[in-house]
Amino acid sequence: MARMKFLCDVERCIDCSGCVVACKEGNQIPVGVNRRRVITLNQGQAGEKSISVSCMHCADAPCIAVCPVDAIYQREDGVVLVSKKTCIGCGYCFMACPFGAPQFPKGAAFGARGAMDKCTFCAGGPEETFSQEEKKLYGQNRIAEGKPPLCAAMCATKALLAGDADVVADVYRERVFARGSGVNAWGWDKAYNKK
Amino acid sequence: MQRLILPGAVLSAVLAASFVIGANAAGADLLVNFAQGSSADYYKDLIAFITGDWQQFGRLFTELQGQVFWKVFLAVITIVPLAFFLHYLVIGAMEFSHDGEQVLFFPLFARIIHLIAAISFGLLALTGLMVILGKFLGGGTLVRTARYIHIGAAIVFACDAPLMFLMWVKDMLPAVYDIKWLFILGGYLSKQKKPVPAGKYNAGQKMWFWGATVGGGVMAYTGYVIWNMGASLDTVRLYVIVHNALGAGLVAFFLTHLYMSLFAIKGSLNSMITGYKPKSEVDILHSRYKY
Repeated sequence: MARMKFLCDVERCIDCSGCVVACKEGNQIPVGVNRRRVITLNQGQAGEKSISVSCMHCADAPCIAVCPVDAIYQREDGVVLVSKKTCIGCGYCFMACPFGAPQFPKGAAFGARGAMDKCTFCAGGPEETFSQEEKKLYGQNRIAEGKPPLCAAMCATKALLAGDADVVADVYRERVFARGSGVNAWGWDKAYNKK
Repeated sequence: MQRLILPGAVLSAVLAASFVIGANAAGADLLVNFAQGSSADYYKDLIAFITGDWQQFGRLFTELQGQVFWKVFLAVITIVPLAFFLHYLVIGAMEFSHDGEQVLFFPLFARIIHLIAAISFGLLALTGLMVILGKFLGGGTLVRTARYIHIGAAIVFACDAPLMFLMWVKDMLPAVYDIKWLFILGGYLSKQKKPVPAGKYNAGQKMWFWGATVGGGVMAYTGYVIWNMGASLDTVRLYVIVHNALGAGLVAFFLTHLYMSLFAIKGSLNSMITGYKPKSEVDILHSRYKY
């Protein structure tokens, strides 16, 4: 079975935040929650770079390991999903995640975190596929419709790639080859005057 | 009474101020001074910006939380009661006549403070266990409610614990004979009723006191930061580790305290209801106490 992966090409990302808006609008995400965000380093300086980050749907995901109520699970295609009905909002997944993906809307009592919300790879959730409940809790299920996730589908520069890992890797390999190999190799920019 | 409330209020104010400062520091701008080198440098900075030093703290947290803590808690709530059950079968409860002269041990104020602590701490221990062992309860509304109760009970306990600390700290300072008490484990391993070296409170009660008040303070502060993520993520990770490790210890102590008061010394629970202990019991279990 195909393994779903995200890849953000930092040489192409222009910090337009279209992916963030597409995800937020298309999935009707709660206020205060961003499943995806664009981070820019060295803004306004030479070497400025941007990257779009969300849940990476890790192999051996740390969030699954630490969840005290086993609310997070991984599908066969690698997509990591959360059951919002099981989640208690303890926040441990956020502390375990190397990418800061899990997000928490305000909960019901004592200002405590509500059930965790994160990128679903636009694959819905544990509820019945295409049901109203699935849409309300988790957003669209575009994978079941045979479409790529909203963020990657709308990315204007096609910096953000999503889908079958082998295909994504092939696209990226061709790009890197076209740009010239060694462009990012350590020390080349200083030693050989190559940028 | 007023003498006790004022320092309690000051302590609460200092804690509250440190919480606010901690919360503000978390919002500081971290997006400055990134290296301008290769992609490898860029990703290193990026990851540190998003989630701190994952290799050091995130990994440690993931391994402990995923593999260790729930097993430790499960061991504590099975092995400790089992050990006491065996103690009860083999050695049995201590019995003292409750008919004779009575000694006032706990004035009304102490009993009220203790009652509030008992209820709130009992709820904290129970709901904390429900969260950490939530996978056996299936999560959802039940465990989520337990988590809300955990936060509510923590607020009550955090107000009560400073008063309990001030009320008992003088009697709970260590004494030389406490070492002797520890060596004979308070005489609980023998059926004989020989006078045990202890003042108003024995070494076990003293350890429990320091654990519940100072340890409880650490639990309250780390718990507060975990609740609002009011610090850098690495700090929050460390606080969860401290909170859970200390929590396991406190639950073990709490179970011990329950066993002692409910089973090990017959009728000793009455002293926390009426305030009086029988003289016959005090002369043996608190032989150095001058009432």
